[in-house]
Amino acid sequence: MRNLLLEPVTPSAQPETASPPDRATAFQPVQGGGEHRNGAMLMVEAYVVLWVVLMAWLLLLWRRQRGLVQRLDDLERTIDRAAEKAARPASGA
Amino acid sequence: MGIVQKIFYFHVPSAYAMYLGAAACFVGSLGYLLRPTDVRDALARAGAEIAVVFGAIVLTTGPLWAAKAWGYYWTWDPRLTTSLLSVLIYVAYMVLRAFGGDGTGERRFAAALGVLGAANLPIIHFSVQKWSGQHPTVVTGRGGGLQHPDMKLALGLAFVAFTCFVVALLWARVRLGVAEHRLARAEEDAIDLGLDTRSEA
Repeated sequence: MRNLLLEPVTPSAQPETASPPDRATAFQPVQGGGEHRNGAMLMVEAYVVLWVVLMAWLLLLWRRQRGLVQRLDDLERTIDRAAEKAARPASGA
Repeated sequence: MGIVQKIFYFHVPSAYAMYLGAAACFVGSLGYLLRPTDVRDALARAGAEIAVVFGAIVLTTGPLWAAKAWGYYWTWDPRLTTSLLSVLIYVAYMVLRAFGGDGTGERRFAAALGVLGAANLPIIHFSVQKWSGQHPTVVTGRGGGLQHPDMKLALGLAFVAFTCFVVALLWARVRLGVAEHRLARAEEDAIDLGLDTRSEA
């Protein structure tokens, strides 16, 4: 079975006469290309990739922000404890 | 080509968004090298993350489209190869920032990488016109493959939407980065003042 994932560019796999302007305006099929897949399914997969990647990154950002809030809470508690400790000798005197 | 051509309307804007992220990384990195501030460092880091995220989208949606259009998922075409190289550069930036520590020296090293990484952007953009390959040149000053006005309208709207999206993501990520820097400094101050018994990292 041909490996469709990594296929080196070979002269036979490229349109030999297509210049850049030609490629811009015309569909240039690869000569000797592999088996074609269903276009609608490919489009759906591409949409899924878009949403999954973006949602995954937003999830990472949300977790990072939550960690930040926890560190902030810890710092506030530390400051409160230090303030109470500082206030105790003054009240006990 | 059929319905698979619709991938064009988020594949191309995603590449444009990758350029925006890389440009933000360049601006932040250059600014940090000239005069280090937390905002510039955060902008560089945010730009690199956005470049990686949208670069991953481009390098995934493109081959899915190519499977139908060319019959192959991947070829070592100049545009594809230079795009992959660019994404790897910004992945290296993120790995460096994640595992290399957060000192001034590490930030400057990463900023230098952020400046140099931007040199690949014009190579990606002009690779199709200058070198032979499989990737089409669609968006050109002469119109390229956008023959129908509806295609131009749809692509234009997609560009506007992705621009607004990237700007919003940059803003949110920069705010997060600046907050992290301020919190780290506050924690260090708390340790220095003896308020916290934990040792400095």
